[in-house]
Amino acid sequence: MKMKKIASIILAAVMAVAPAVNVMAEDSTGEVLSVATNFEVKTLVPWAASEENAFLVNNQAQEGLFRMDADNKPQPALCDTYEVSDDKLTYTFHLRDGIQWSNGDPVKASDFVFAWLKQMSSDATNGYSFIMTDYIVNGAEYNEGTVEADQVGVKAVDDSTLEVQLKNPTPYFLSLTTMIMFFPVNEAFYNEMGDQYALSPENMVYCGPYVITEYDPAVGVTLKANESYWDAENVKIQDAQVRVMKDATAALNAYQAGQLSQVDLDSVNVAANQDSPEFNRQTDFRTSYIQFNLTDEVMGNVNIRKAISLAIDRQTLTDMVLADGSAPGFGLVADGMSGSEDKTFRELNGDVSPFDAEQAKEYWAKGVEELGSEPSEITLLVADDSVSKSVATYIQSELDKNLGVTMVIDTKTVQGRGELMDANNYQFGLTAWGADYDDAMTYLDLWTNGTPYRGNYNDDTYNSLISDAKTQTDDETRLNDMLEAEKKLVEEDAVVAPVYHRGSATLTKANVKNLISHPIGVPMEFKYAYFE
Amino acid sequence: MLKYTLKRLAYILLTLWIVITCTFFLMKKLPGTPFDPEHFSIMSPQQQEKVLEMYGLNDPVPVQYIKYLKNILRGDFGTSYTYVNQKVTDVIGGRLGPSALIGIQAVLLGLAVGLVLGILAAWRHNTAIDYVTMIIAVLGVSVPNFVAAALLQYYIGLKWGVLPVGFWTNWACSILPSIALSFSPLAQVARFTRTEMLDVLDQDYIVTARAKGISQFKVLTRHAIRNSIIPVITILGPIVVNLMTGSLAVENIYSIPGIGSLFVDCIKANDYPVIMGITVFYAAFYMLVVLLVDLAYSLIDPRIRLAKGKED
Repeated sequence: MKMKKIASIILAAVMAVAPAVNVMAEDSTGEVLSVATNFEVKTLVPWAASEENAFLVNNQAQEGLFRMDADNKPQPALCDTYEVSDDKLTYTFHLRDGIQWSNGDPVKASDFVFAWLKQMSSDATNGYSFIMTDYIVNGAEYNEGTVEADQVGVKAVDDSTLEVQLKNPTPYFLSLTTMIMFFPVNEAFYNEMGDQYALSPENMVYCGPYVITEYDPAVGVTLKANESYWDAENVKIQDAQVRVMKDATAALNAYQAGQLSQVDLDSVNVAANQDSPEFNRQTDFRTSYIQFNLTDEVMGNVNIRKAISLAIDRQTLTDMVLADGSAPGFGLVADGMSGSEDKTFRELNGDVSPFDAEQAKEYWAKGVEELGSEPSEITLLVADDSVSKSVATYIQSELDKNLGVTMVIDTKTVQGRGELMDANNYQFGLTAWGADYDDAMTYLDLWTNGTPYRGNYNDDTYNSLISDAKTQTDDETRLNDMLEAEKKLVEEDAVVAPVYHRGSATLTKANVKNLISHPIGVPMEFKYAYFE
Repeated sequence: MLKYTLKRLAYILLTLWIVITCTFFLMKKLPGTPFDPEHFSIMSPQQQEKVLEMYGLNDPVPVQYIKYLKNILRGDFGTSYTYVNQKVTDVIGGRLGPSALIGIQAVLLGLAVGLVLGILAAWRHNTAIDYVTMIIAVLGVSVPNFVAAALLQYYIGLKWGVLPVGFWTNWACSILPSIALSFSPLAQVARFTRTEMLDVLDQDYIVTARAKGISQFKVLTRHAIRNSIIPVITILGPIVVNLMTGSLAVENIYSIPGIGSLFVDCIKANDYPVIMGITVFYAAFYMLVVLLVDLAYSLIDPRIRLAKGKED
């Protein structure tokens, strides 16, 4: 009978695709540390990866000269000791004895040089070359192709000594080396793999606390403690996973079913869980801000800009609208970022973008007078994600309430918004910047190039403050330069209006201890975690 | 038959070419570049140049189009922008399996349950069985699959703890998503079968069969079901394609590495080669399934002749 034939064809089809389900076999014996990420792990190549989840994975499987501790301070990792020259321009790093890759090769100083040069070369596609070329002698020239590799300020003196020449004194340079771009790559192994490098677990070698045993961009990564790691005896948890879970509610279900050790909550789920002993909040070093376009007729007026910034009640936004652990943006530099020895940058500089409805009205009236007529409407450009849209709606109602102005929300894809801003085709836009390292310069440096994306701001005083801070050997003068620069950019010139600092709210299983998460750079440390 | 099939294949190729052309030029109208604006804008001019060069984006769009056509004729669908260094065929191939597995399971489940319900409903026309079946059918069509998926996940996965809440580690992980996806085909098949059965049960040959004294059971299995199943095959084609090409919502809820979420992701990221690859795959797959259904149709129902045969 023909039906039988059809049935057997269908059966055969099922058999053919059934093996697809075995991409990840669970063979763990003990307890597994399992965390979720809502994005795919699309690449693990250090100079191609720009997403947080790739940083997360590489930080467990690889290691650099330093590793961040619980207080976000760099502690020696593959580096044993180091010296800094008196002019603070030359760093000499001595690697630990006996450190090796997971294939048995020794980790050599030349492996660092290879990875750093790759990141500085035009082969790098992650957009992070600046994090080396801004500091390392001849890095930018090497990127342009005008100097050879041997003239770049990073050299392997011998197998265990790395020497780095900096352009300017950089008090946070050791922090930079905790980022994955500064991790070594086994040069011989890389050359063997070519463009197949890091496409599968076998196509990588590891020098961090863990090795990757399974990797699928859409599924995640399975990790096992690295036996040849120099500090293996202090790595308590043997098995770990990073799971791709795009749906926040599904991730919460998985957490409650015991399939995840930690889960990020979205704002909908915060209220129901914030009394739980497993609940935890953290403010990231990331600032969402309004960028004004200074060449726009309306936004070119400084009083209009000040009025808009003053008219937004940021506290209510983070308490009532976002309610996800975000903090109000009373300044461009995020809460908690380093300032002096005992005070954070934010504490030192106070609130440079406060809320004051009365003052806002005064500035608005002044601005309107200078313009000659009241703008009939103003248009805010935002990306089409749900958080940006709700923030934009909130700003819309604040401006209507406090200034009586009609604000139109122009929603575009992230790409579309970026393109319009690059093309100078916007009035003011909602955008964000995440700190790359724990220093105010990671923000302040952005407004020195006068591009449309940064509102066409090109101010001599500001630029000289920044360039002075960059060459300054005295830490206090440097800090004062940066404090003044932030005041000028946000308070006096109102080029940007900081809105909020993104926060995250998480639940962590009670038996998981010491799972450290960082507000910048590498997001998490599995190395120090243990089960109770 | 062979001539007919070849002719249809020629049409498929022509349609594919039109689809490729339209998609290619429309895709280039998408705002933005394939690169994350925050990071692309801070690359040095040399790096930007090298990236654009590497992916052939410096050429005018018509030149890119000709190059693309030449490449796919050689079977080269290019390299993904976002999955660094991975071939488009590998990226899509890796995602096909999970979607196909839950898709086929959902079709089989929906077909089996839907057929049984449809037959019962027609056989016991205007009784409680009939009404219950029709309520199920209306629910199955109107309740979106992501609602069913979320409910199943919450109750069966979390509250009762019978099956995994998500992930993709073993076969058990594919059960809940398959059930969630099966509601819609189940409802469609049940309704369709019921209507066809009622129609067939009124036919003269059923009356004849009954008059010959054949048992009610045999009338159903030998005559009624076989004849009422034929039209169901026509709706099966689109259902199979729909389910095998993945469902974004269900894949996201159960964290399945399927092709539905890939399609949405690659459009959001302007990953041109992957967008083209998936479009070509979807189009070709759909047309081939429709062709197969037409061929199967002629095999099962001898009254239908696809090609102009001698009987004409």
